[in-house]
Amino acid sequence: MIEAQHLGRVFDGTVAVEDVSFSIKDGEAFAFLGPNGAGKTTTVRMLCCLISATHGTGFIDGLDISEKNNHIKIRSMIGLLPENPGMYESLSAHRNLDFYARLYGVPEREREARISAMLKRLGIFDRRNDAVGKFSKGMKQKIAIARALMHEPSYIFLDEPTAALDPEAAITVRNFLLELKKEGRTIFLNTHNLDEAQRVCDRIGVLKTRLLATGAPDDLATRFFGRSTIVHLKVANPEFLPAIRNLPGVLDARLDDKNILLSLVDPVEQNPAIISALVLKGAQIEYVQEVKHGLEDIYLKLMGGSK
Amino acid sequence: MRFEKSWIIVRKEFSEFRKNKYILYSLFLMPIIMSVVLPVVYLVPISTFATPPADHPLELGINIVQEIQGGNQSNSSVENIRFHNTNIENVIANKCEFFNCTIVMSVVKNSNLTSSTITGSVVEHSNIQSSTTIDTNAPGSLFLGSESESEKYLLLIINSLLMFFVLIPAIIPTVIASYSFVGEKLNKSLEPLLATPTTDTELLAGKTLAIFIPSVLVTWISLLPAVIIVDLVTYPILGYYILPNMIWILGVFFVAPLFCILSVLVNVIVSARVSDVRTSQQIGSIVVLPAIAFFIVALAGVVVLNEFYMLLFGTAILIVDLIVFFISLRVFQREEILVKWK
Repeated sequence: MIEAQHLGRVFDGTVAVEDVSFSIKDGEAFAFLGPNGAGKTTTVRMLCCLISATHGTGFIDGLDISEKNNHIKIRSMIGLLPENPGMYESLSAHRNLDFYARLYGVPEREREARISAMLKRLGIFDRRNDAVGKFSKGMKQKIAIARALMHEPSYIFLDEPTAALDPEAAITVRNFLLELKKEGRTIFLNTHNLDEAQRVCDRIGVLKTRLLATGAPDDLATRFFGRSTIVHLKVANPEFLPAIRNLPGVLDARLDDKNILLSLVDPVEQNPAIISALVLKGAQIEYVQEVKHGLEDIYLKLMGGSK
Repeated sequence: MRFEKSWIIVRKEFSEFRKNKYILYSLFLMPIIMSVVLPVVYLVPISTFATPPADHPLELGINIVQEIQGGNQSNSSVENIRFHNTNIENVIANKCEFFNCTIVMSVVKNSNLTSSTITGSVVEHSNIQSSTTIDTNAPGSLFLGSESESEKYLLLIINSLLMFFVLIPAIIPTVIASYSFVGEKLNKSLEPLLATPTTDTELLAGKTLAIFIPSVLVTWISLLPAVIIVDLVTYPILGYYILPNMIWILGVFFVAPLFCILSVLVNVIVSARVSDVRTSQQIGSIVVLPAIAFFIVALAGVVVLNEFYMLLFGTAILIVDLIVFFISLRVFQREEILVKWK
């Protein structure tokens, strides 16, 4: 389990992260969403024991990150993919991975097999002896991911893994993350990419120095927007609204062009009564649709913006 | 500290050095220049014009007819006279003998000069024994048991060559360290390295050793051609093999490695504050200044370049090393690197 308890960090009087608390269960994929400078990277660095917290603490597999004696053990359990791949560009892909495998203490008898398997899995085995400097951004990112996984860590921290990648490379990386998730690894993903977060992660956290919200995307949508229904009419009439506003479970009803937008406690329960009331008033209903609020809506609402 | 972790870093650094032409140039060209080119350029011209040593004095056919004890002899021409403790100035002497004399602005031919000081004169076809010559030409003369002007120059040049051997392991790290630390910073490869289960000390030790080993090794290897060249060139003049001697051994095997460590550690500190390889090299180069200052002081004659002063100088560098080591330990910490290294 990854856990943050009132985690905070101040740099020379500037608050980067404030009072952040969350927990991520083993095998769960969790995404941190937030604008640049929100404190996502700082949080990851604190959890990976790279920088210290000025307030609060965190736990990786029950080990306290504020205890210096735990740092080596924690770092051996985690794999970190930083924002920049940071490969040794004059060295080959194989030499890069071999170096990290040795540093992570991968046993000699397993090292070669593990490097080969990882390079094959990422489709770069044929270029294992080429200098990394000759690789595309996508390939470098793949090797960087392989590097973070050389020691088969239980906890994987990925900081913007698909930023600056072309769509094809981003899809490859994303699919690889899904494979890791299937393997039961705990994934902590920092990203700007809302679609990526929604596809890969079970839960998200929205950070802007403070943690604004955490939860599964659907739960957050319900929490911030309720559940909504749109009734598409052939002809709109403002007189339809009083007939349905007073029905039980209807929180709000308003007219938008030829549509009635309804905010409901439970659309499945209330939709039949609403439709009946509208038909009695002479409305001609074309079709009824449930409104789904995506992560973008949630994110913008939390950031104080508008779509 | 787990040495095996540091050694993994050393090996990775070596792999990178092999691919960096600037590091290879500094590892091979600089030692060749200092161990082969400079000794040849400095020593060969001097040795060409130097007076060879002599085992047997010249046969001069002196027939002493008069002995002068003490006093002054000036503005005269003398022959077959033996002088003791005499001040001689502006004299032309032929077939004379001088013991403990001071000879100034004179011309001496076919004579024996013993334990005397000869200044601004010409001593032609004579035996000069245990004497000091200052601004004096001695064509065809033999130096017996004393240093000729050319020998003095040779010793001076040989000592100045030692300075280069102390400087090589201080200069090479400025090049390697700039790529090792600033290069890694520019390449953004420090963060994944810092995320590994290694301590700050293991990382610093690995990086330091990776720079220290090749720098000192090429210095020691290049000592061999330098010793051979110096001995080959100077043996005909000195009559003995001057290298290796204790001053050089202390310089190359004691002072030079300490200077190398100082250079690496200073460059760690410099690297923390700069974000450009060239700037790092330029600022890091200041580490050679104490070595140059010491040798200038020694070569200027302010202190004698002997074993004692080499030991003293080495000990001073050792103390500075320890101070800089503790500073670099504070600079090379994960938190510092990620938060403050610019």
